[in-house]
Amino acid sequence: MLAIYKKELRSYFTSMIGYVFIAFFLVIVGIGFLFTNVFGKIANFEYSLSSISFIVVLLTPLLTMRLMAEENKQKTDQLLLTSPLGAGSIVVGKLLAVITIFGVGMAITCIYPLILSKYGTVQFGAAYASILGFLMLGAAYLSMGLYISSLTENQVVAAVISFIVFLFTVVMDSLGSAIPTDNVTAIIMFTVILVVVCVVLYLMMHNATIAVAVGLVVETALMVVYIIKPTMFDGSVAALFGWLSVLSRYNQFSYGIMDITGLIYYLSIIVLFAFLTTQVIRKKRWS
Amino acid sequence: MIEVKNLVKRYGNHTAVDDLSFTVEKGQVLGFLGPNGAGKSTTMNIITGYISATEGTVTVNGLDVFEEPEEVKKMIGYLPEFPPLYTDMTVREYLDFVADIKRVKKSEKGQMISEIMDATKITQMADRLIKHLSKGFKQRVGLAQAIMGYPELIILDEPTVGLDPKQINEIRDLIRELSKNHTIILSSHIMQEVSAVCDIVMIIDKGKLVISDKPENLSEHLGATGEISISVKGDSESVIAALKKIDRVTKVEERTRTIEGIVELTLNFGEKDDIREEVFYAMCDIKAPILEMQTMKMSLEDIFLKVTNHTGEVIQLDYSTDMEKNKSEDAEGVNTDAGDL
Repeated sequence: MLAIYKKELRSYFTSMIGYVFIAFFLVIVGIGFLFTNVFGKIANFEYSLSSISFIVVLLTPLLTMRLMAEENKQKTDQLLLTSPLGAGSIVVGKLLAVITIFGVGMAITCIYPLILSKYGTVQFGAAYASILGFLMLGAAYLSMGLYISSLTENQVVAAVISFIVFLFTVVMDSLGSAIPTDNVTAIIMFTVILVVVCVVLYLMMHNATIAVAVGLVVETALMVVYIIKPTMFDGSVAALFGWLSVLSRYNQFSYGIMDITGLIYYLSIIVLFAFLTTQVIRKKRWS
Repeated sequence: MIEVKNLVKRYGNHTAVDDLSFTVEKGQVLGFLGPNGAGKSTTMNIITGYISATEGTVTVNGLDVFEEPEEVKKMIGYLPEFPPLYTDMTVREYLDFVADIKRVKKSEKGQMISEIMDATKITQMADRLIKHLSKGFKQRVGLAQAIMGYPELIILDEPTVGLDPKQINEIRDLIRELSKNHTIILSSHIMQEVSAVCDIVMIIDKGKLVISDKPENLSEHLGATGEISISVKGDSESVIAALKKIDRVTKVEERTRTIEGIVELTLNFGEKDDIREEVFYAMCDIKAPILEMQTMKMSLEDIFLKVTNHTGEVIQLDYSTDMEKNKSEDAEGVNTDAGDL
């Protein structure tokens, strides 16, 4: 794991992507700081970070696109997978390396609250909680990006798909509030999602029976719940979309709140996608 | 050391490896031979645990590749068809990384890396970026990677592709050297290469084992052409007449004469016969001394083409009985041209 971590870290700095990312990130944070804190004469650094939080969506695909895709393309995955390393240590090593790059950028932003404290009263707790939250937000997107990168052997495809998926997680929140909240819409929405899940299941397993069976069982369960207790669907679509909205979770941090549920939420995303990536790697053996 | 049993690999409807079974003993060098797409790489990928088999088992030192992949992978060094190189690293960085992932002890690492770089003759390239190396050097770096950690079993998929003749010889020498302490499986579609370094040759075609034997035996068994080349001192007409008297000779053909007074002929006779004695006495009778006589053998290349011919027919050979007979023939010093290879 350490070997993979060192190798990835080195490759970010030999290929310039590491420098470019950190430089670009700091420029954006600097602009946010200039407009929010300097021009706005506010000593809350968390406002700056929340004003530029969308750039995570733009920049993280740059870091993750080559992580697995390049291994697949250069066939170097053959070296890794025939070495005594497990899929788990490959994924963890890579993920930690890319989080480290992001972390270097975040570490530098830690200076801003100190600068602000010279000119006004800074609530350090709130400021540093927002930096921690931002790091976790970034790590969640990096984990998703790593997963997407493992699915393809083309860096550009990985970057584009990551970008589209990330964009979805941003608009989820407003999308969820735009959809009618009545129960019939809810059950239709869930059915549509179920169909999509079943199609994906079929594509992954090439087994029509299992896909259809899962679809029927879950749909029956939905119907039963709907008939017995329709109120359970109240607001469920908005809640689901809200749950998928990775970026809006960060809002709590920008109000200066150390949101433990938010941290756990991000941690779960990181672990979930890291796990899915190991599964993609293991599955390769069976294709 | 390695036991492969009833290995099958299917991709959809296509069967890449079809019921392959073999064993390799410790210290042996096994050569996989087959045309492109015969299933050589697939079999190697299965043994190394890179892909799984549809059916069948592979055990290395008694450990199942499927059940205990990490233990088995520790014992194997693998050079795949395309050397898995990180092109933006220098050779030394790359080998250092490989040593790390193969869990070479820190204390032995530096020593081992320089030893291996010496053995594969890449020391002068140690600090160059791999992307700037020529194909031959990349191949050698790949080979160095496979040897790293000195695993018990080294698997090389077409190790000499892209090398010039001098490098090929060097790599062969290296493989011979390694074979003293390691078990080696290598693949090739070049017969010569396999026969030069391997103890056992396995010819596979369309995923099936066609034949497996020592390289010299292959030539002995499949190489019989029923032809003798002979040079006799004497008058051509009387020599040919005398030879035609021998019952089993079907054809006598005179080759272009190079030296005056010496007849050079090619005799054809029924396959699997030996008529050299008759030829000798026939020549004695007419007092024409034989200067040279050689049974013609197919080259291993030709045998390879013969057994992998794409007419779809399976060549049946009764080996078990022939093996013994063959050994005694060897003892009598049958003249073959297999040694030229």
